[in-house]
Amino acid sequence: MRLSSILFALGVLLLFFPILIVVPMSFSADRFLGFPPRSWGLTWYRAYFGDPVWMAATFRSLRIALFASLIATIAGTLGIVGLGRIGPRWRAGLTGLFIAPAIVPNVIIALGVFILALSFGATDSIVTLTFAHAALALPFVVMIVGAAYRQVDSNLERAARVCGAGPVRAFLTATLPPILPAVVAAAIFAFFISFDELVVALFLMGGAETLPVRIWNDLRFEINPTIAAISTFFVFVTTAAMALAELLRMRTIRKLRDI
Amino acid sequence: MSPGQKWTVLPALALALVMFAVPVALIFREALFDPAFTLTHFERFFGRPVFQSVFRNTLMVATIVATACLLIGYPMALFIVTRPPRWRPLLLFLVLVPLWMSILVRTYAWMVVLGREGMLNHALLTLGLIETPLQMLYTSGAVYVAMVQILLPIMVITCYSAMTEIDMGLVRAARVMGAGPVRAFRHVFLPLSLEGALTGWAVIFILSLGFFIVPALVGGRRDALIGNMIVNQVAQTNWGFAAAMAIVLLAATIILLALLRLLASKFLHSPRQEST
Amino acid sequence: MTGITKRHLMAGALALPLAAGGAFAAQADTLTVAGSGGGLAQVMDMLYDQPFTEATGIQINALATTDRASALQAMMRSGNTIWDVAELSPVDYAIASTNGWLVPIDWSRADPDGLLPDEARLEDAAVVATYSTILAVRSDRLPEGQAMQSWADFWDVETFPGPRGLQNSVMDNLEFALLADGVERADIYDLLATDEGVDRAFAMLDEIKPHITAWWTAGAQPVQMLADGEVAFTSAWNGRITQLQAEGVPADMIWQGGALKPSYMAIIRGTDMEDAAHEYLRMLLTDAERAAQFAELVAYPAMLPQLYDHLSAEAGANLPTHPDNMDVQFVTNALFWAEHMDRLRERWDEWMLE
Repeated sequence: MRLSSILFALGVLLLFFPILIVVPMSFSADRFLGFPPRSWGLTWYRAYFGDPVWMAATFRSLRIALFASLIATIAGTLGIVGLGRIGPRWRAGLTGLFIAPAIVPNVIIALGVFILALSFGATDSIVTLTFAHAALALPFVVMIVGAAYRQVDSNLERAARVCGAGPVRAFLTATLPPILPAVVAAAIFAFFISFDELVVALFLMGGAETLPVRIWNDLRFEINPTIAAISTFFVFVTTAAMALAELLRMRTIRKLRDI
Repeated sequence: MSPGQKWTVLPALALALVMFAVPVALIFREALFDPAFTLTHFERFFGRPVFQSVFRNTLMVATIVATACLLIGYPMALFIVTRPPRWRPLLLFLVLVPLWMSILVRTYAWMVVLGREGMLNHALLTLGLIETPLQMLYTSGAVYVAMVQILLPIMVITCYSAMTEIDMGLVRAARVMGAGPVRAFRHVFLPLSLEGALTGWAVIFILSLGFFIVPALVGGRRDALIGNMIVNQVAQTNWGFAAAMAIVLLAATIILLALLRLLASKFLHSPRQEST
Repeated sequence: MTGITKRHLMAGALALPLAAGGAFAAQADTLTVAGSGGGLAQVMDMLYDQPFTEATGIQINALATTDRASALQAMMRSGNTIWDVAELSPVDYAIASTNGWLVPIDWSRADPDGLLPDEARLEDAAVVATYSTILAVRSDRLPEGQAMQSWADFWDVETFPGPRGLQNSVMDNLEFALLADGVERADIYDLLATDEGVDRAFAMLDEIKPHITAWWTAGAQPVQMLADGEVAFTSAWNGRITQLQAEGVPADMIWQGGALKPSYMAIIRGTDMEDAAHEYLRMLLTDAERAAQFAELVAYPAMLPQLYDHLSAEAGANLPTHPDNMDVQFVTNALFWAEHMDRLRERWDEWMLE
């Protein structure tokens, strides 16, 4: 067991290595990337929060991710409920279709969405990008919510229907509450799928940059610790958000056990 | 149950059709019609050795990265699953956190670490292990390390969720019947978890096929992947050719999935499947 | 109620391609300019965009963009022109111009006093800035008493040992290889138009290939590589080297054999802001004082000869269009590259993999 603990620690170290480098680098006052930094300061945090272009890209990404997550979560959760009601053959086929965007390389989907948008004059549209991101996030919603939904006792919903509740009421009062934490966790996952997505946005958006596109374009012209500051900021924000999602997920499991 | 509720699959179906199935279909149109039916783009791809060697290289890199992730990720998942249940979420969370740092930024962090005057060379020089700095950045090795770091969490999660589904009673039963821990692992646990491991391997292989950021930033001149070629061709307005390459990539993905399925159904007669 | 929700969601998903078309229609009081973002955009904003808005009331929407030829082709194909004005690299300009994506420029409005030299006044574009791909050298990594002076020296690995970098790009490198082989600057493109010329360039590149440790792909890379010692000698864009020197890194620019490139500003077909676009061009092109300030800040000067009247001799000597530097460089032939890019790039990619 000693040995396996050490090996596990080494694996985690490999995973955390870039974070351990980037966080100190973000507090550098040097003009170029270097580790360890020669001088310290909040220069690059000021550069990030003070630059309207970075801020615009950030808020654009946040907005897109918020709506993409909403769309994917609603469509995915409803989809899971529907999948439980249809024949096994259709169920397998549709589940496959919903999961497929996760196992086809993103660059292929990006090219396809770009060509689709061209035919409708819908390039450079935040709406197109939002729906494309929702499709990329759909598989994760289907997997996370699906796992929780399978554990829900379908008798509960049936009982509610027998007691006179309509299908919507039965869903809202009997089915939804136990899986709600999983739905929220899925929404948070979906949010970050969109928030970190580069290649679809790169192909689609000639003008309005998202945050990853801004980082990519910035790297083509200058390397400075601004991106280190941005990532440090978001690693802390996302870690907090993911911790929340994880707590919610665990609460679902506990709740389901109690039922 | 009201039959009406079947229709709740429709929003997801519409989303998957409009933003996934239709776009993929349009790639075929873009590659094959210009505007009349043509195979020029495919002829160009298969006629020039450069594209085939990039394609071969892509398959090789994906194989190496997926295998490395398996070798590191499987034991990590095993470690988590053998901890007391209340520790598991925290350990899993540790593995997940790095997933939420931008891939671009993680790649840049490796540039700082692996550079000629970077951290690793400094450390090796100070320890006296090397005399002159090693060329580590802009090599295939740098590409492998960065890609494994990015994809490893996915392997751990896939293996972990397969392992949690294993009925530990079976393992205990084997122990009770006199099997040593190694034997119980080899004959009961390993075959049961192999399916998850194989799924993880396939997912990482497929995701690797589409990479372009990592090879562009830390790879050497021979490390270009097909993803780089596609992105470059899109930038140069050669969309038909980019679409043709995307189709070859898609075909490779589908063939690989079919092969793995065949392999799994032939060799993975796990006790779990027999018992149910 | 489910019916309504369902229908709404469906309608939302299906109406998407239709609704999105109008989402980015240009507003009447905003001029959308596609540039490259970053520090350059900040300087543009301070020197040109804000004063332009103050003078005319027209807002400038400055976009940070890359791969502009591809984006333009997308706009032309989808009929959704979202840029009014775009800054174009030589190859992007050649593609856009030959495809007829650019609006002819009315020079009586863009440069009424005829201040610009003819080379900067094209039928469908104006040269607003220039930059060079030059040889950059870490002077502290040179052998005692030696100075690197040309591409021939870059190729001379005996006299000048050390890790080297070049851009992973066929453009520039073929030219540099021929110069290193003793070809005159004036003969480069005649020679490259022939198979023998291309073979000769690749034969030279074969020689240097084992000594190139880094093939950069992004303009920021060579600067970072010089700063952290990854390479001692590399090709680089001139503007960023100036910043490196300001940081105290001992880096020198070798103008001899540099590849001077115009950066074009053009008005995009389909715009309804032609008047404002001409007004904006006039400001960019004809104000010598601002042009001098711009050149001092980013080292990508305009072609306005008068700008050197407003610069110190020292600042001027660091610029690609300074007469001393002009004399030793060659101008990248955009039309040659627009014509031969696909074929030569394929050969380059093959050569890289060998």
